[in-house]
Amino acid sequence: MSARKVGVLRFPGTNCDRDVWQAIEMSGGQPEWLWHADLFDPSAYARLILPGGFSYGDYLRSGALAARAKAMQSVREAAERGVPVLGICNGFQILTEAKLLPGALIKNESLRFNDDWVGLRMRNSCRYFASQVASQVASQARSAHVMRLPIAHADGRYYAEDDELKRLEDNGQIWLTYEKNPNGSIADIAGVMNASGNVAALMPHPERAMADWMGGHDGLSFFMHGE
Amino acid sequence: MSRVDNLDEKLKKYRLNRHELGLITERLGREPEGVEWALFSALWSEHCSYKSSKVHLKKLFNKSKRVLESFGENAGVVDLGAGERIAFKIESHNHPSFIEPYQGAATGVGGILRDIFTMGARPIALADYLCFGEPAAPRMRALMDGVVRGIGGYGNCVGVPTVTGQTEFHESYNSNILVNAMAVGLFSPGDRIFLSKARGAGNWVVYAGAKTGRDGVHGASMASESFGADSAAKRPTVQIGDPFFEKLLIESCLEVMAQDLVVAIQDMGAAGLTSSSFEMASKGQVGLRLQLDDVPLRDPTMSPEEILLSESQERMLLICEPEKFSAIQAIFHRWGLDACKIGEVQDERVVELRWHGETISRIDPDILVEQAPQYMRAFKPWKALHRVAGEADVKTGVEDGARFLRSLLGHVHGTSRSWIYKQYDSRVGAKTVRDCAESVAIQRLPDSGRGLGIVLGCRPHMMRWDAREGGIDAVAYPALELAAKGFEPLAVTDCLNYGNPEKEHIMSEFVASVEAMSTMCEKLDTPIISGNVSFYNETMGRNITSTPATGLVGLRDHVDAIPHGVFTREGEAVYLLRLPMAAVGGAAQEITGQAPTGYGQLEPSLIAPFARLLRVLTGARNEGPLVSSSRVVGKFGLAYALARMCAGVVGCRIEEDALKTIRGDLTVDDLFREHLYEVILTALPGREAELEAAVRELRGALTMASFVRIGRTIGAQLEIGSLLKAPVASLAESYQTGVWAAMEKEVRA
Amino acid sequence: MKIGVKVMPRKEVLDTQGRAVENTLREHGQKLNQCTVGRYLVLDLPDEEVEAAMSRVRAMAETVLYNPLIETFELERL
Repeated sequence: MSARKVGVLRFPGTNCDRDVWQAIEMSGGQPEWLWHADLFDPSAYARLILPGGFSYGDYLRSGALAARAKAMQSVREAAERGVPVLGICNGFQILTEAKLLPGALIKNESLRFNDDWVGLRMRNSCRYFASQVASQVASQARSAHVMRLPIAHADGRYYAEDDELKRLEDNGQIWLTYEKNPNGSIADIAGVMNASGNVAALMPHPERAMADWMGGHDGLSFFMHGE
Repeated sequence: MSRVDNLDEKLKKYRLNRHELGLITERLGREPEGVEWALFSALWSEHCSYKSSKVHLKKLFNKSKRVLESFGENAGVVDLGAGERIAFKIESHNHPSFIEPYQGAATGVGGILRDIFTMGARPIALADYLCFGEPAAPRMRALMDGVVRGIGGYGNCVGVPTVTGQTEFHESYNSNILVNAMAVGLFSPGDRIFLSKARGAGNWVVYAGAKTGRDGVHGASMASESFGADSAAKRPTVQIGDPFFEKLLIESCLEVMAQDLVVAIQDMGAAGLTSSSFEMASKGQVGLRLQLDDVPLRDPTMSPEEILLSESQERMLLICEPEKFSAIQAIFHRWGLDACKIGEVQDERVVELRWHGETISRIDPDILVEQAPQYMRAFKPWKALHRVAGEADVKTGVEDGARFLRSLLGHVHGTSRSWIYKQYDSRVGAKTVRDCAESVAIQRLPDSGRGLGIVLGCRPHMMRWDAREGGIDAVAYPALELAAKGFEPLAVTDCLNYGNPEKEHIMSEFVASVEAMSTMCEKLDTPIISGNVSFYNETMGRNITSTPATGLVGLRDHVDAIPHGVFTREGEAVYLLRLPMAAVGGAAQEITGQAPTGYGQLEPSLIAPFARLLRVLTGARNEGPLVSSSRVVGKFGLAYALARMCAGVVGCRIEEDALKTIRGDLTVDDLFREHLYEVILTALPGREAELEAAVRELRGALTMASFVRIGRTIGAQLEIGSLLKAPVASLAESYQTGVWAAMEKEVRA
Repeated sequence: MKIGVKVMPRKEVLDTQGRAVENTLREHGQKLNQCTVGRYLVLDLPDEEVEAAMSRVRAMAETVLYNPLIETFELERL
């Protein structure tokens, strides 16, 4: 296995796949497509990414149909073996529908799609993704606004029941929070991790903030190799 | 019922007249039978045949060394050099959007995207030109909400960013809104351009994508008719768009084309299978034999006429060599779609339709496609109505400048469109450099790193003042916007929205404005390479403002140091680059309930060198950039343009004396008049002398142009001499909150 | 009194959501003829007369709850 090989999942309706591919290449990784209808060998990849989009048109519930795709069996296996898995936007929705991450993503409070730039704080660092930023955070005040990334979603409002939310707080699984809540997410949550920290996901799009000409480069750290 | 009544009924049903029936009979050598009525109804409709506009469209300037494909194909294609080419087109979906705004707008976006990827280009950007009635008009807020949701619902899901747009409001659109969608697609180096010409006897005709339902049967002929009070009752089954399905269709079609498996390809748009099959045959100078029984149906009880006229979305027609069919089918299957053979190409120039083992029609495709009637509708030489002698007659009546400015910034005509564009994904594709918040959208071309600028044009207040000047402005103004960001305008697409062409005054406006646009395009060397005409935007005798919407694309060597749209640094010199030809009170007058007046004439032969001068000043220069920010002064004049540049924390102080040297007597009134054309520029620190020298050197024979330093950027205040003072924060607040906050409440209520 | 409002896509109109769910179920090896996706609303009303309540809900359905161009609706007392 090449330490730089990154598997990129493609479902029918995934539409940020090529953008994520480009972001991985810009960060020195080796992207490889993984098709929704095929199983794959989880040990062959250094990490996996589930890009954004509208898998299965967001029909029924966002991410619901993709979460039942064949390739998700291999993703689950990878997650159990500790392979780092990153979900972005629709990828986040798929991971919650697959129960690989806690909670659910529901319609924005505004009931509208929202395209904007948001400020994000890193509440807890993830060992595998954007970990370089985490070390900067440690040297700054906790409240420091550390990142600016674009969002573009209609179903981005994170929801978890009270006891679940408390568990997330206690275990340090809340990864990123919004500086100014754009969608009504509970506890301003923009990204979460699983208990072991190898599965992480966020609603904002780091692959759209990779260079100054895109409006910022805070997304770079999500594709650089941590650890 | 007598035979004559029967015939009249039939003509009415198929929206043909006796003269046209005569032509059909003459060309066929017999009377049309059965489904043939439906074929002629669809293909000889205004929508498909351009019968009222073709004689004029033929005269449009449409060639340059960059143009690879133009009218006659699904979209125009322009060569950018370095192996990169783009396909682009704008198209109307006005009538369906008025009936069912969400699906109407959504299928408008879907349709224009298919025109692009059917040529082999990957869609990279969408833009929308929208005209609504007054927000208080019946249904208007629901229409706005539905249209915006429909555009977003389709574009966001299919994964093509919406990067720019224009939204206008006027009572003339109260019962007839305009929804025009533009799409841009990119051919990367090595990608082939695919055309719709059917070729090769024995090749297969392949149907791919969604099944055929009763959606929009008779849609094309309906789009060619004015709305009446009973149009609600006449609705065909609403066409439903499925962006998810379209996404699968994009990926599978591009894959099929990348593997060079098809001979020709066309989407099924207006008049569905009829127009696609007859047009492919006619363009390729061949015939087709189609088995209608083999068309996949959603409802097995559909009749051949319904199958032929269905406007079900997300369907394509392909021509391939028989041995390549299984490879094509495998690709479509992999993406979860179906592809099946429905016919064959034949040498004999006849399209033969088979149904239940019988031939139900045999017609030379040229009769339907090429030989549709062309009408020279009555029109008069152009004479403007609102033209006045001079400045004294163009009064906006504004006295308190600061107050009026704040009200403009919060008014539906002058406020931020963020309520609309925040519902659109502007960055999917990861190429967006500048988005809907800016005057020009910019996409970075991934292979060359160059910038592609996209901007829409046509300002209806100019059209209401004078259709000829408005036609020039519909090209000149967006071209200047591109030039102000350092882009060379390359080509134009247009969507000509007009009222009833059978009325002389409408046709007169059409002819005057289209000729004016063409002249402007010729001077700029920006050919018109694609588009459509939407006539009969008339409801119960009331016609819309003639609205020739345009889409322009431009090219820039790189995307670094592009001038901003707002002031970014205190202490910079502010300049006005002018080419004074005309002035209008237009938008400010209309807001205060007056008729739009103006004087002077726009001169295309002066505007073109002015645009070149502007582009060189702001473009990618080897010696480094000179300009830090730029804005073309538009509707509401200088004060509004300056206020827009004071969007954040940096304001400006404009010296009254400097303005007087160019405007003579300076009044508050004049600050809201639009002088055509003026551009605000700021120099990068330390580059003032170089910028001034560059203008002197480049101006050449353009002696009418002037370049005047009018002030300096300062802290948080906008000051125009003693005439107008306002804190920047209050302007920004008016602009950002404006009527949209109220709009949101009303829509949700 | 509770009244249920079932809103379904009209038969002749393409049901994009139903098509996507149907195809997914088929991919999972399920046999089915068709899947149609609609909406279900439950209205809790202060009314005591069934007839009056039904006619009020019908009016509500016609003004806002369904789009006659693309949908049909049915009422049931719960």
